[in-house]
Amino acid sequence: MALDLLSECLKNWSGGYVEMRHHRREMLTITVKDGKMDAVNCGVTEGACARVLIDGSWGFASTTSLEKKDVTKIIEDAASLARASKPLKKRRVDLGTVDAYEDSYETPMHKDPAKADKEELVRLAIDVDKEVRSFSPRIVSDNVALRIIDDKLEFLSSEGSRISQRIVRCYGGVMVVAMEKGSIASAYESIGAQCGLEILDETPLEEAGRKAAERADKLASARVAPGGVFPVILENRIVGLLAHEAVGHCSEADLVYGGSFLAGKIGEKVASEKVTLIDDGMFPRGFGTMKYDDEGVPTEKTVIIDKGVCKGYLHSRETACQFNVKPTGNARAWTFEYDPIIRMRNTYIEAGDYSLEELAETIKDGFFLKGGLSGQADFTGEFMFGTQEAVKIRNGEFAESYRGVTISGNAFEVLKNVDAVGKDFLMRIGMCGKEQVNYVGMGGASLRTKLLLGGR
Amino acid sequence: MSLQDRVEYAVRKCEKLGASEAEAYAQKQRVVEIVLERGEIQSERTKIHEGISVRLVKDKKLGFAYTSTLSEKEIEKACEAAFALARASAPNPDWISLPKTAETPTSPEGIFDPKIAELQGTDVLNLAIQAAEAVKEKDKRAAIDDGKFTAATGETAIANTHGISCVEKATVFSCYLVCIAKEMGKASSMVFEYEITRSLGKLSPTQLGEKAAEKAVASLNPKSVPSFTGKVLLDTDPAAAVLAYTITNSVNAENVQRKRSLWAEKIGEEVASPVLNVVDDGLLPFGVYSSAFDDEGVPRRKTEILTKGVLKGFLHNSFTANKANTASTGNAYRQDYTTLPTVLSSNMIIQPGDKTLEQMISEIDKGIIVRRFSGNVRPESGEFSGIAKQASFIENGEVKHALKETMISGNVFEALKNIVAIGSETRATLYRAYVPPTLVDNIKIVSKH
Repeated sequence: MALDLLSECLKNWSGGYVEMRHHRREMLTITVKDGKMDAVNCGVTEGACARVLIDGSWGFASTTSLEKKDVTKIIEDAASLARASKPLKKRRVDLGTVDAYEDSYETPMHKDPAKADKEELVRLAIDVDKEVRSFSPRIVSDNVALRIIDDKLEFLSSEGSRISQRIVRCYGGVMVVAMEKGSIASAYESIGAQCGLEILDETPLEEAGRKAAERADKLASARVAPGGVFPVILENRIVGLLAHEAVGHCSEADLVYGGSFLAGKIGEKVASEKVTLIDDGMFPRGFGTMKYDDEGVPTEKTVIIDKGVCKGYLHSRETACQFNVKPTGNARAWTFEYDPIIRMRNTYIEAGDYSLEELAETIKDGFFLKGGLSGQADFTGEFMFGTQEAVKIRNGEFAESYRGVTISGNAFEVLKNVDAVGKDFLMRIGMCGKEQVNYVGMGGASLRTKLLLGGR
Repeated sequence: MSLQDRVEYAVRKCEKLGASEAEAYAQKQRVVEIVLERGEIQSERTKIHEGISVRLVKDKKLGFAYTSTLSEKEIEKACEAAFALARASAPNPDWISLPKTAETPTSPEGIFDPKIAELQGTDVLNLAIQAAEAVKEKDKRAAIDDGKFTAATGETAIANTHGISCVEKATVFSCYLVCIAKEMGKASSMVFEYEITRSLGKLSPTQLGEKAAEKAVASLNPKSVPSFTGKVLLDTDPAAAVLAYTITNSVNAENVQRKRSLWAEKIGEEVASPVLNVVDDGLLPFGVYSSAFDDEGVPRRKTEILTKGVLKGFLHNSFTANKANTASTGNAYRQDYTTLPTVLSSNMIIQPGDKTLEQMISEIDKGIIVRRFSGNVRPESGEFSGIAKQASFIENGEVKHALKETMISGNVFEALKNIVAIGSETRATLYRAYVPPTLVDNIKIVSKH
């Protein structure tokens, strides 16, 4: 048991706070490209790390070896880094006190992928690919991918915490390219959750494939949407991106400390009263769900914006102590090669009660923006996301489709202009890159606002 | 056992298991990293990133497995896993062969710098501090939000059942700063400035800090201008993000063969402005993306891409080359040992022109300069749109003021034909490309105004 090894290595240590993690990640990826099987890819990455706090100075080291001497050595390495850099650091880190936990947690699931029949998964990917390619003669290329990630995480601290967690994520995606008279369009759809392979029965990959094929096929002959400021409906998938990228990052206490848009705004109105924004560490099946974060702090449901008013920030132990609040369980690390930093878990805007038709009703000349692509945001709230499709709204009615364009604006201005939120809540999977990548959940319901389209 | 011994060991093991063909790829990397946050040193890490993967073929069925543990026992397990996966998989009728023996390649000049290999945590920390000090000294209004300084020393070994067996060591130093300026309670847009180099002697943390501060301050007090269609001067990084990225994707033989490239049938045709010359040079001395061999062990080389705007060639790995009945151009690429080889550029070089940035600006009657692009580029269709960051309005040859909430949009394939001038000051970008500033006409500039 890895926890025993860590504890054996830490036994004789006395020199400051130490936390150690062991991480074993098993990954299986199946990819079919244009009807041809790529290699089935599976592998293991495993290792341990130590983070040491000496006189307010951090040091971190990791190893892929699980030999006792090597694991003991990383404690020493981390300690010597902490000592060496101490004179160069202006600020002294204080962690405050938290409870120590001895606990274990496992992703709730019905079909454990550890027992998966790989041949069956290969067949599934091949079938989805076949269906996608036969959708229309305009489909010229596709990728079908299925991935299972099985993480085993152990956490041990010199304060007495001993935690083991097993987090399982299953997801898949289909990318489709269609061509019409020398014009190319592509579309992408994904499914997935933190759970077992039952997700493939509940939200079949075929359906995602069909949606992507339909969209690529339709857009092959469509024009790019025009540019300018328009009233829009943002589809639930894009609202999740907005909640995460543009708003969520501004509430990360490390960025707040650096002067992000939400700095000093606790208790102030920062969005329309229609907007309530949450970051939840235990959202059922959320891609970013964990019972404990990588500092051994229990995760919680953190309210960032309550009916338009800023309520709180996302914290690690270090920033919670700086801000004199309780840590929220947002310190996460990508693998054993990284120290934990403040990350979102499952960030979402709460649903309202409008149907899509009702959202469209008051729009005379605008767009329904669908299918998020990648996005970026500054901590000032300025954001951009790609969209796949822009459906024209004319006098309250959905009309013809255009190719999606990048949208941008200041997130808080966009949120102030929200005058209606839909009921079609969706929690989607996401990958977030902030110095290191990580899995997150992004959620929301379609909503109505106005913003800038970077179109033709 | 050396790293090369381990890949050879893996290949022999796969042969014993009954593989038709097999290849092993191993990597060992020592990384020393300093992370700055809020202008302060947040953390320092030393880490060893290592592992081995095995690609195994059995009757045209492919299996791939990897492990981060380089012991004989774990290598054997990975070989067995790859064999089992190949059996569970379906045959790929396009499979012909792994690359065959080639001459033993030699490393290009300047890709290993012992000074980088010897850097300790405190040395890297001192470089980060130099950059942080430079920001402050350059302008009081500028401050660092975050940054990272990374010294990496790596060794890669590849072997396969056709006799390829090679090993190479390389170093790279990379660093970035995210910088913001504040004045009268108003913040500038966020500047992302970076440097990536093979040799420590070519790195100036002070210059990095100064550039970041300069850009942040220059984007204070932005104003908007009405939307118009016109000249956009893309600085090195946005030129790479929009133009080089699309070129790289369009000449990628995998995309060509999979009908994802609009240049698939265009060899010999003029697809870009005659001022544009592009080569992919995997042997560029001191090149950030140079190496003796690619990620399948095939020797790197120089490949002509565009000559005076005319499309000359595509980039291949062994799979796409076999399919097209041609030779690999040595462009197999893996992100790391956990991934299968795909096709990617080595150093995609857009040949510089002869004008400095100032000269280029002075020749613009009305247009904008974009120093960072935050947006989406869809390389299949060429559509791009996004925010013009740290953009300024240019009129009558002079930079007038910073721009607020401005987006640019268009089609890269059209933009390549509308290149007016190419600058002389080229640099290594994060897009596996060396790119100079590029002036493009007829781009839509969209503002909220």
